[in-house]
Amino acid sequence: MAKVVVIGAGFAGHTAALYLGSKLGKKHEITVISNRDVFSYLPSWVWLGVGHMKPEQTIFKLKPVYDRKNVRFVHAAAKEIHPDAGDQYVLGEEVGTGNEIRLDYDYLVIAPGPLLNFAGTPGLGPENGFTHSICSLPHAVKTRDSYLAMCERMKKGETVKMVIGTGHPGATCQGAAFEYIVNVHKDLVKKGLRDKADILWLSNEPLLGDFGVNGVQIKRNGHVMRSEEFIQSVFNDHGIRYQVQTGVTKVEEGKIHWQNYEGDEGTTDFDFAMLIPAFKGQPFKYVNKNGEDITSKMTNPAGFVLVDGKYGLPYPELAQTPEAWPSTYQTPAYPNVFAAGIAFAPPGPISKPFTNKNNLLIAPAPPRTGMVSGVIGRLVALNIADLIETGKTTHSEPMTEMVAACIASMGDSLWDGNAVTIVMRPVVPDRKKYQNEFGRDLFTSHLEMGVSGAWMKFMLHHTFMWKFKARPGWTLIPE
Amino acid sequence: MNTQQEFSRAEKFWMNFKLYQAWRFIVLNIKILMAVYQSKRS
Ligand SMILES: Cc1cc2nc3c(=O)[nH]c(=O)nc-3n(C[C@H](O)[C@H](O)[C@H](O)COP(=O)(O)OP(=O)(O)OC[C@H]3O[C@@H](n4cnc5c(N)ncnc54)[C@H](O)[C@@H]3O)c2cc1C
Repeated sequence: MAKVVVIGAGFAGHTAALYLGSKLGKKHEITVISNRDVFSYLPSWVWLGVGHMKPEQTIFKLKPVYDRKNVRFVHAAAKEIHPDAGDQYVLGEEVGTGNEIRLDYDYLVIAPGPLLNFAGTPGLGPENGFTHSICSLPHAVKTRDSYLAMCERMKKGETVKMVIGTGHPGATCQGAAFEYIVNVHKDLVKKGLRDKADILWLSNEPLLGDFGVNGVQIKRNGHVMRSEEFIQSVFNDHGIRYQVQTGVTKVEEGKIHWQNYEGDEGTTDFDFAMLIPAFKGQPFKYVNKNGEDITSKMTNPAGFVLVDGKYGLPYPELAQTPEAWPSTYQTPAYPNVFAAGIAFAPPGPISKPFTNKNNLLIAPAPPRTGMVSGVIGRLVALNIADLIETGKTTHSEPMTEMVAACIASMGDSLWDGNAVTIVMRPVVPDRKKYQNEFGRDLFTSHLEMGVSGAWMKFMLHHTFMWKFKARPGWTLIPE
Repeated sequence: MNTQQEFSRAEKFWMNFKLYQAWRFIVLNIKILMAVYQSKRS
């Protein structure tokens, strides 16, 4: 009987656990260790942050699902990983008691998502700073409360300054911030308060609509349309001001400090700000059989796990080398250890990085979206099943071959809501396969806005909750 | 940095015209499912 341990129960880890449970759960021991006992459907926190969805509608308890799927659930935070053959285990701390827990494994999936690095920008974040975030459930609830308090001020006639975007020169997840800004706009229009808010998009993207993936390009009526023009139209239509090519360096009460591509230093005043922090890997300690700390061999400096990618290529070379992107997500030193979702280290950025004259690197990190994380979670689970049953892996899928669909909601009403539907193929450009300047399949890639997108987003919330609860037919719903 | 790029009146009309959007809903679902199933899923 093989022992498989999965760290983290998010898009990547939970997907992996469901496939592992279904394929192997009856004969082998599958264990999930997670510091939270619920699954969180993060995309709907955008609606939570404007008070349009209740927190409990975005989560469900994991244990009942795992009980049905023959997966053991351990409610604990992983801390240490001992990967050397003969004595492979994860050490964790049980939530509630603080007791140390040891989980032995034959195969390990590391999928704990990101550490929200608010400390990377002085003054950022809801705990020790002055800005908000929608990247965790308590943060999204706090954001909602602060946003609704802002609305009360506006109702009394006050005009407020709102800034939404990225809070670090190397932040990612621009898509979530974009959704939030347009949902704030829509909500204020509905409340009759839009004229009381000055809304600014502040981001580290090289161009508007870049989203950390070098933008989206499609062919329409014979000419190439770029997400830059599209998002400009959205913002102009909504009266949202924008400032890109900007890295936030510090936040004080009511004041954001930034630098831009030109090296100019400036400040922006705010009454309400929702800025996405930089992400780091979870700070696990990796220890070899001699008791030595081998963390620096297992992870990159930001703490993301090094897998089967080609690391260290300069951007111009990486942009021409699709095979540098990992495809099995196995760690090179330990082929029985995999990293999935945000936890794996990408070989470099997808968007063009920029260093200004003050030596500040302004470069969106590559997003590993929910779909990408789910696809990797499934792939890793299938490969572990392969290894256990046949001794070799048969599955591989680099981000240069993955399709991603993303519905950026702009108001949740099914009558007058709206959404941008984005399809990208592949997520990371492959300039060898697709011989155009963007390295993408311009026919399959898609960009469209309309009420139908709002219907899609509503449908996705419910179908994904169904899938993640492993209800009948869940495997038919693609990640 | 801010430009004058805007959606045309016709574009805005189609974005909100429910019958057309019902059609787009079907087309988008098919398009996404086709893209996903054509991708490797290996
Ligand atoms: C507001 C918002 C909106 C988004 N919208 C979209 C969208 O519309 N479409 C899309 O594709 N993507 C979207 N994303 C991105 C998507 O949510 C992430 O890409 C995805 O959640 C990453 O999956 P993951 O499994 O790597 O990490 P997570 O989903 O963050 O899961 C990590 C899990 O590990 C657990 N964990 C953490 N530390 C430990 C530890 N020490 N021990 C044990 N367990 C641990 C966590 O509790 C969590 O359960 C959005 C993100 C946000 C924040």
